[in-house]
Amino acid sequence: MRGQGGDRIMVMPVSIQSRQAMGKLVLPFLILVACGVILLGKADRPLIEHMRMQVADMLAPAYGLVAWPQARLRELSGNLQDIRNLEAENIRLRTENANLQHWYDVAAALADENATLKANLHWIPDEAPSYVTGRVVRDTSGLYARAVLLSINPDTNVRKDGIALDGAGLAGRVTEVGKRSARVLLITDSSSRLPVTLESSHAAAIMAGDNSGTPKIIYYPQDNMPVEGERVVTNGEIESLPAGLPVGHVHYLRPGTPVVIPAAGLEHLDILRIFNYADAVVPPDAPGRIPLPTLGRTMTLPPQFQPKRG
Amino acid sequence: MKPLSPPSLKPEIQPRSGLAHGTDLLMRHCLPCLFVLLVTLVLSAPLNIPAQAELMPAIVQVSVFLWSVFRPSLMPSVAVFGLGMCVDLLSFEPPGVMLLIMLVVHGVGLSGRYVLARLNVFVLWLVFGIVMVFATALQWVLCSALALHLVETLPFMFECILAFGSFPVLYVIFVWTYHFIVNDANRA
Repeated sequence: MRGQGGDRIMVMPVSIQSRQAMGKLVLPFLILVACGVILLGKADRPLIEHMRMQVADMLAPAYGLVAWPQARLRELSGNLQDIRNLEAENIRLRTENANLQHWYDVAAALADENATLKANLHWIPDEAPSYVTGRVVRDTSGLYARAVLLSINPDTNVRKDGIALDGAGLAGRVTEVGKRSARVLLITDSSSRLPVTLESSHAAAIMAGDNSGTPKIIYYPQDNMPVEGERVVTNGEIESLPAGLPVGHVHYLRPGTPVVIPAAGLEHLDILRIFNYADAVVPPDAPGRIPLPTLGRTMTLPPQFQPKRG
Repeated sequence: MKPLSPPSLKPEIQPRSGLAHGTDLLMRHCLPCLFVLLVTLVLSAPLNIPAQAELMPAIVQVSVFLWSVFRPSLMPSVAVFGLGMCVDLLSFEPPGVMLLIMLVVHGVGLSGRYVLARLNVFVLWLVFGIVMVFATALQWVLCSALALHLVETLPFMFECILAFGSFPVLYVIFVWTYHFIVNDANRA
């Protein structure tokens, strides 16, 4: 039994010396082959990648078998954690519910009061703005870094400066209107500047996009700093944008740099509504007003002020 | 006429040599390579073990080194080459580097086995540590040369330390396998 291993190897009729010499040459030869493999890998990367992918494909079912119990275990432990936290969660939800009930009562009372007051004051209700809804076609990566293209019906009345809102808040403004599409410049683009009001500190500021997901707040009053978490709404400083549209809420990335977390889901816009507020407020003519001269032209006085000749 | 032979020192009942016995012997002799192959396959699966990418080469190198020193007939160069190809196909390093490193570690173990096999375990551990330092340095140099820029050294240092640290555990496993599985076959 002892010598069995030695007997079995003897296949080729070669002498012991040459067999030993060959045995000594195997390792250097294999090292040379390994160097060849390295060179081959450098020279023909796709071949190696292809082979690796094939091996991975072959092993994929086995990997799936490994991954499945892991996912189940994670789910189970998550469930257990949930069960452990159930008590605390219930208490939290009950307090929150009571709190919300209180706020609901307050809101209902205020709505009633508001309705009564408006009835007594002959309040002119805001005109309901007209809007069209369109599907976001694709992100246009052209002039603007953060803009979307909206497909619209050619009959609809979409104009430049229309306001685009999604279900949760302000998304952007229409900058160009084509025949069947409209480009919406999102509030996160670096060329977007919008006047906003910070709701609880009542400060006016400018929301400036910087191509990141969170536009900055600039030009806010230094004695009235934005408060973390307060709501940001539009203010009615520009004609086409009415006051009070929800934009987002304030968040401090680091001390001294307040940003707006947009309420609209700008990362995955699907459907946008374009509101047309442009003719909501039409300024009446001012008869006595002298129109300002446009740049590059000399001013002409109205006829009654012109010096009499002769 | 049969020549007179001295009676066996350990008179035992010899198993009948047949297919079952042959398979048993084969399995016992393939065990070291199968172990390395299994480690390679298991540790390339998405197990989400921390430091999984560094653990696999560490365990593979310790195993190759130990078997090359103590029982090179069960870890022949050709088998190391095959295992190296498997490791290479299952990893995402530059192809061939790990194969070469494994062959080098195997070659060091094989050529120094008459000295290394007689050493105390702790001295062997230290020698293995030194071999690993050089092997990992070579691996880093090769990876850097193939990537044409200096790659980060930290993973390689980590791999080296991991191999050094896992040596005792794998040595215990090796001794157990050697005594109770591989050598048992020869006694049987």
